Amino acid sequence: KRTKRARKVTTPCSLLNLEVTVSQLELGYEGDETVLFRYCSGKCSASRRNYDITLASVKKRLQGKKIRHNPCCRPTSYEEDISFLDNNYKYHTIKELSASQCGCV
Amino acid sequence: HCLDSTRPCNPCLDATKACNLNETCRRQRSAYIDTCNKGPQDGCNRKRCHKSLRQFFDRVQTEHSYGLLFCSCPNNACAERRRQTIVPSCSFEEKAKPNCLELRRTCRLDPLCRSRLADFHKNCQMTPVQQLSNSCPNEDYQACLAAYVGLIGTDMTPNYMDSTPTNFTISPWCSCRGSGNQEEECERFLQDFRENTCLRNAIQAFGYGTDRPKPA
Repeated sequence: KRTKRARKVTTPCSLLNLEVTVSQLELGYEGDETVLFRYCSGKCSASRRNYDITLASVKKRLQGKKIRHNPCCRPTSYEEDISFLDNNYKYHTIKELSASQCGCV
Repeated sequence: HCLDSTRPCNPCLDATKACNLNETCRRQRSAYIDTCNKGPQDGCNRKRCHKSLRQFFDRVQTEHSYGLLFCSCPNNACAERRRQTIVPSCSFEEKAKPNCLELRRTCRLDPLCRSRLADFHKNCQMTPVQQLSNSCPNEDYQACLAAYVGLIGTDMTPNYMDSTPTNFTISPWCSCRGSGNQEEECERFLQDFRENTCLRNAIQAFGYGTDRPKPA
């Protein structure tokens, strides 16, 4: 019998979309305009390097230093500006809001 | 045609959403907003702003660009958003309002503006025949809308003058004050924008049109 964990689909690190209003960004703007927020999500277990494996095994000898021995699913590049009209009819431009590429880094 | 009663009806906001979810439209819109919104009113680079507005209307599908510009509004909040589409503080308004015939002379010195204005007159002109039937030359609303959009980003850039939802007025940024003995000609020229039933009907027909896809 398969366990619950085994049934869980593990999607590799990839770019996903979410529709959010400007207000929901919580960046201090009040706006009802809907923008596409693109973010990175997914597993990176397949892209462990020798670096990660070794780091994991020498971790004890490093005495509580903050180290990460698993790759992380993060944006490797960002979309250019996104501009919008807020609820007070002022235009704004936000830089590097959305991811355009993801990678296990 | 706002079916969702859980939030205020705003077709212009819906059109913006459709644009933001389309890669080309989002990019081109962000590009002209960023250019036109740089610095205070005096500091904005009008020439560059006009150029990026022309690029926006050249490169973006009319389904999206017309959606932003010709959305049909039930209230002022929507109509103000519609008026703001072209970033009027940079692309449209100026400290002083020039005389319309003066503005027309300036426009005619520029080959692009000259031809776009001729297109507008040809496709949105109210001849006596059209005045009777309230329609456009050859009943072609699309040609009039295209000619109107063609003027955006020229010296003759037209816009909504206020945030009145349905009974809106459209005009370039000029007046007929100081026309001297050319007052009548000036008024005739200005009326082609302000009291143009063909243009008004074309805009309203687009807003209520059934021939375009509903915004997602």
